[in-house]
Amino acid sequence: MPQDEMPQLTAGMESTAPPSSQLAPRAAYIHVPFCAHRCGYCNFTVVANRQDLIPAYLDALATELACISGSHEVDTLFFGGGTPSQLALKPMEQLFSIVREAFPLASDGELSVEVNPVDLTPEKAKLLATAGVTRISLGAQSFNAGVLRTLERDHTGDDIRRAVNLARTFARSVSLDLIFATPDQTIGAWERELAAVLELEPDHVSTYGLTYERGTSFWSRLNKSELNEINEETQRQMYLLAIERLAAGGLEHYEISNFARSGHRCRHNEGYWSGDEYFAAGPGAARHIAGERSTNHRSTLTWIKRLRAGQSPITERETLLAHDKARETLVLGLRRIEGIDQREFQRKTGFTASELLGNSLNQWLRLRLVVFDGGRIRLTRNGMLLSDQMWSEVLRI
Amino acid sequence: MPKPSDCHYIRNFSIVAHIDHGKSTLADRLLERTGAVTARESREQLLDDMQLERERGITIKARAVALRHVHNGQEYELNLIDTPGHVDFHYEVSRSLACCEGALLLVDAFQGVEAQTVANAYAALENNLEMIPVVNKIDLTHARVDEVLEEMESSLALAAEDAILCSAKTGVGTDELLEAIIERIPPPAGDANAPLQAMVFDSHYDEFRGAITYVRLMNGTIHKGQKVQFLKTGMTMDVLELGQFSPGRTPCQELRAGQVGYLICNIKSISDVHIGDTISTPGPDHGTPLEGYKPPKRMVYCGLYPADGENFEELRDALHKLSINDPSFEFQPETSDALGFGFRCGFLGLLHMEIIQQRLEREADLDLVQTAPNVTYEIATRHGGTLYITNPQDVPDTGDIEEFRQPIVQTSFVLTSDCIGPVMQLCHERRGVYLRTEYLSPTRALLVFDLPLAEVIYDMHDRLKSITRGYGTMDYELKGYFPADLVRMDILVGGKRVDALSIICHREDAERRGRAVVKKLRTEIDRHMFEVALQAAIGGRIIARETISAIRKNVTAKCYGGDISRKRKLWAKQREGKKRMKSVGNVDIPQKAFLAVLDTGQDQKS
Repeated sequence: MPQDEMPQLTAGMESTAPPSSQLAPRAAYIHVPFCAHRCGYCNFTVVANRQDLIPAYLDALATELACISGSHEVDTLFFGGGTPSQLALKPMEQLFSIVREAFPLASDGELSVEVNPVDLTPEKAKLLATAGVTRISLGAQSFNAGVLRTLERDHTGDDIRRAVNLARTFARSVSLDLIFATPDQTIGAWERELAAVLELEPDHVSTYGLTYERGTSFWSRLNKSELNEINEETQRQMYLLAIERLAAGGLEHYEISNFARSGHRCRHNEGYWSGDEYFAAGPGAARHIAGERSTNHRSTLTWIKRLRAGQSPITERETLLAHDKARETLVLGLRRIEGIDQREFQRKTGFTASELLGNSLNQWLRLRLVVFDGGRIRLTRNGMLLSDQMWSEVLRI
Repeated sequence: MPKPSDCHYIRNFSIVAHIDHGKSTLADRLLERTGAVTARESREQLLDDMQLERERGITIKARAVALRHVHNGQEYELNLIDTPGHVDFHYEVSRSLACCEGALLLVDAFQGVEAQTVANAYAALENNLEMIPVVNKIDLTHARVDEVLEEMESSLALAAEDAILCSAKTGVGTDELLEAIIERIPPPAGDANAPLQAMVFDSHYDEFRGAITYVRLMNGTIHKGQKVQFLKTGMTMDVLELGQFSPGRTPCQELRAGQVGYLICNIKSISDVHIGDTISTPGPDHGTPLEGYKPPKRMVYCGLYPADGENFEELRDALHKLSINDPSFEFQPETSDALGFGFRCGFLGLLHMEIIQQRLEREADLDLVQTAPNVTYEIATRHGGTLYITNPQDVPDTGDIEEFRQPIVQTSFVLTSDCIGPVMQLCHERRGVYLRTEYLSPTRALLVFDLPLAEVIYDMHDRLKSITRGYGTMDYELKGYFPADLVRMDILVGGKRVDALSIICHREDAERRGRAVVKKLRTEIDRHMFEVALQAAIGGRIIARETISAIRKNVTAKCYGGDISRKRKLWAKQREGKKRMKSVGNVDIPQKAFLAVLDTGQDQKS
C-alpha cells in the first residue's frame, strides 16, 4: 500500500471516533526485548539469551499491531529495548516491514533505533539505512574498560568509535548514551569519559546517573556492600560537570538528561515531555492513546501467550482526571530546560501552574529551584538536581 | 445442715503474687477442684476473660468467683477475689484485699520472693489478713523450695512449716490448700440482721444489663427486688438481679453479710458506680458509710492524636467506649500546633497506657500518634496558686514558678547480691535516695530507694532487667510530690518550637537529654530540599543542636514513555507516606519521631 494514502485513511478513522478524543497519536514506540545478557544494573523488560523466541515475538508483534486496526502515519518511530540491534538480518528486516506497515513514517519523520556498538556490522548498517533509519542511539555507557566490565557490557571504547563512524554513513543523527556515578568512579575518570565523547563529536548525548533498582543484581550487591555507591556530592559534581563540558562542546542541554547539537534533538522523546500521545507495541511497552495510559505485560512469554490466545496484552490502564493529567504535564514539561510557557500550558490543560503547585511554588521560588522567565516557568540548575524530590511534593496538594 | 450463707461457712480470700508466679493457673485449679468448672470447660486462665489479659498472661481487672467445697461433711462457700499483679494496678489489689479475711501469698519455687511479693505481702498485712504462704511450681526441675521458704521467712516472717507446697500446673497440693483456706482463714465477721453495708469493690459494663456492681456485704442482707441506696451518690435503685459468679453470673434470691457477689440495678453508665462506695437501704435508718478507697491516681500522661486529623471524632468515641469499662483511665481534648486535635490521656502507669493503646488500635482500628509519656507535676506559682501539670506545654515561665515538684516513689528491688552494686549505681544516676538493704537469703537482697517516678517509668525496668540478666524485679509506691530543680526543655525544628516534643526534666540532665533527642530526631526526620536545624532549648537558650543537611541531588535520570506512569505511582506513594507525617513549618515529621524524646542519651545495652 503506497504510504502517501495513509493520512486520509487515518483522518477518516478519526472522524468516527468519539468527539472527546483527540487526533490519533503521531508517534509510536516498539519494544524489542532481546539481549545477549542482562546487565547488572538493568531492570528493563528484556529476555537474555533467548534468541529462539524471536520468530514467536515477530508473530505476536504482528498480531498486536493488527489489533490497532489500519495503519497510522507517524512523525516519529522509536525502536527501543532490550537491544533491537541484536536481531539477525532477516528477522530485523521482518521487524521493520511489520512495523512500517502499521506505522508508515511521514516524509520528514524521525526513525530511531537503539543499537549496541558491537552489533553494528556493515551488513546491519546497510539494512538500517535501507529501512530509513534516521537516528542511531548507541548504548555506549562508557569508554573505560574497567567501567564497561563493571557494567557487564560486551564492547570496548574502540567498538563505540567504529560504530559511530559507521552510523554516520547513513543516519542523520548519532546519539550516545552515557552512565555516570558507576561504582568507585572518580570525578577525574568521568572527566575523561566526557572528553572521549566530545572527541567523537556526536549529534546527541543522553547521560544518566547510575541508579540501583530493586530486583537487579546491582541492588543486591549494593546491599551486600560489594558495590560502592558514589556519594551524593560527587554525583552532583559529575552531573554539573557533564552539563558544563557538553555545553562547551556545542551540545545544548535541552532536557534533564539530554543534550543535542542544533537540529538534533530527539523529537520522539520531546513528544513524551510535551504530554503527547503515542502508540506502543511489544512486551512491557507503554502507550498513551485517547487520554488513557496503558502498559503491556512485562514478561515476553506472557505477552506472546496472550496475543496467541487472542487476549489483550495489556495489564494496566489508567485514565487521569484533568487535574492529575495537568500535573503530569507540568512535571514532564519542567524536565525540559526551556520549561513551560504558562499561557500555552493553561490553554492546553485548563489549569495554571500556580494553581497546581500551591504552596510548593512559593517554597520553590524561595529556595530558587524554579524561576519565572518571561512568560515561562523553568527549573534552575539546583531545581534540576532536586527535580525528583520536587515532584513528590507536587502530588501532595 | 446449716445454710452455706451462714458466715461461719464462708471464707473470703485473694491470691497475691508477683507477675508470672502462676496465680491465674492456681485459680483455675481451685475452680476445677471445687467443680465450679469441669476440666473439659477449663480453658487457660478462666478468670482472665479480657482477650488482652489472656494474650499477655496478666490480670488487669479484679474478679470474684464463689466456689463450693465440702470439707469434713460440711459445705463451705469460698469466695476467691482475683487481683491484678502488676504495679500499675496496685490500687485494685488493695481494694480486693479489703474484702477478704485471708490471702494466699504465692511464690514461684524457682524465682523466689520478688519485689511484688513483698509489696503484696505488706498490703495483706496492713489489711490484717491471715496469710497462707504457698510455694508454687514445685514440679520444676530447678525448683529450690527450701531456699524459697527461707526467703519467705527472713523477708516476710512467714514460718516455713506453715507453707503449702503445690504445683498449680499438675494439681499437686490443691486439696491441702483448700483445707488450709478453710482451717486457717477466719470466717467473716458481720451480722446479717444489722443495717445493710455493702462495699462496692469493682464494676464492669455489660452491653445488655448496664453496670454490674461487685459487692462484699459487711453487714445486713440484700434481697432481689428491694430498693438500695448508693450512699456516696445518693442514687436509689431497684435490685433487678443479684447473685454470685461461679464463674458465670449465677442469680440468687439474697446475699447476706460475709458474702461476695454482684448486683444489677439498671445503671446505664458505669461512671455512676463509684468504687469504694457503700450500698445500704434508703431512708433514715440506713447503715453508716464504710471507709472507702482512695481513688486511683493517674501517674502517667501522654497525648494521643489521630494520625489522620479527620478521625478525631472516631478517636473520641473509642476513648469514651474504653473509659466506660475502665474508669481509672481519663482523657481530655487538647490541641497541639504540631499534631492538631487530640487528647491528653491519663493512665495508672506505663503498662496501663500500653494496654489502652493496644485496645484502641485493635478495637477501633485507629492509627495513632502518641507523644512521649510524662508523669504529673505540681507547681507552686509566685501568685500563691498550685498548678497540676499533666502536659509539659502547660509549664509557665520560669519567672512565675516558686517551686516545681515531682512525684517520688519508694522503689523496692529484689535481686541477687552480686547486682546490688550496679543497681545502686543506676539509682544514684537517676537521683535516687538510698533507704535500706535487706537480705532475703545469703544470695538475694531487697534494695529500697526513693526515686523520681519520671526516672522509674523512663527505662528503669529495662535497665534493671539488663543489669540483673532478667532476674531482678521492682515495685514502687507513690510517696508524694517533692521539690526538684526541674525545667521544661523545648525542641525546635527548623527554628519552630514543636509543642508535642517538649519535656520536663532535671536541669542537670537537660543537656544530655537535649543532645539525645536532637540526635534521635536527626535519624527520624528525612532530609529535605533545605537544611533543617534541630535544637533543644531551655527558655531562649539553645543547649543542643543538630543539622539535617539538605538533599543535594535527587534526579533519577530517565523519564521516557514507559517511565511516566511508573514514576507517577512512585510519587503518589511518597505522597501517601507524607500524608501520615505531621508538618511543622515546611518540615515533615514522621509519627515515630514524637517518641524521640524517650531517648535517654545513654547506651541501653550494658
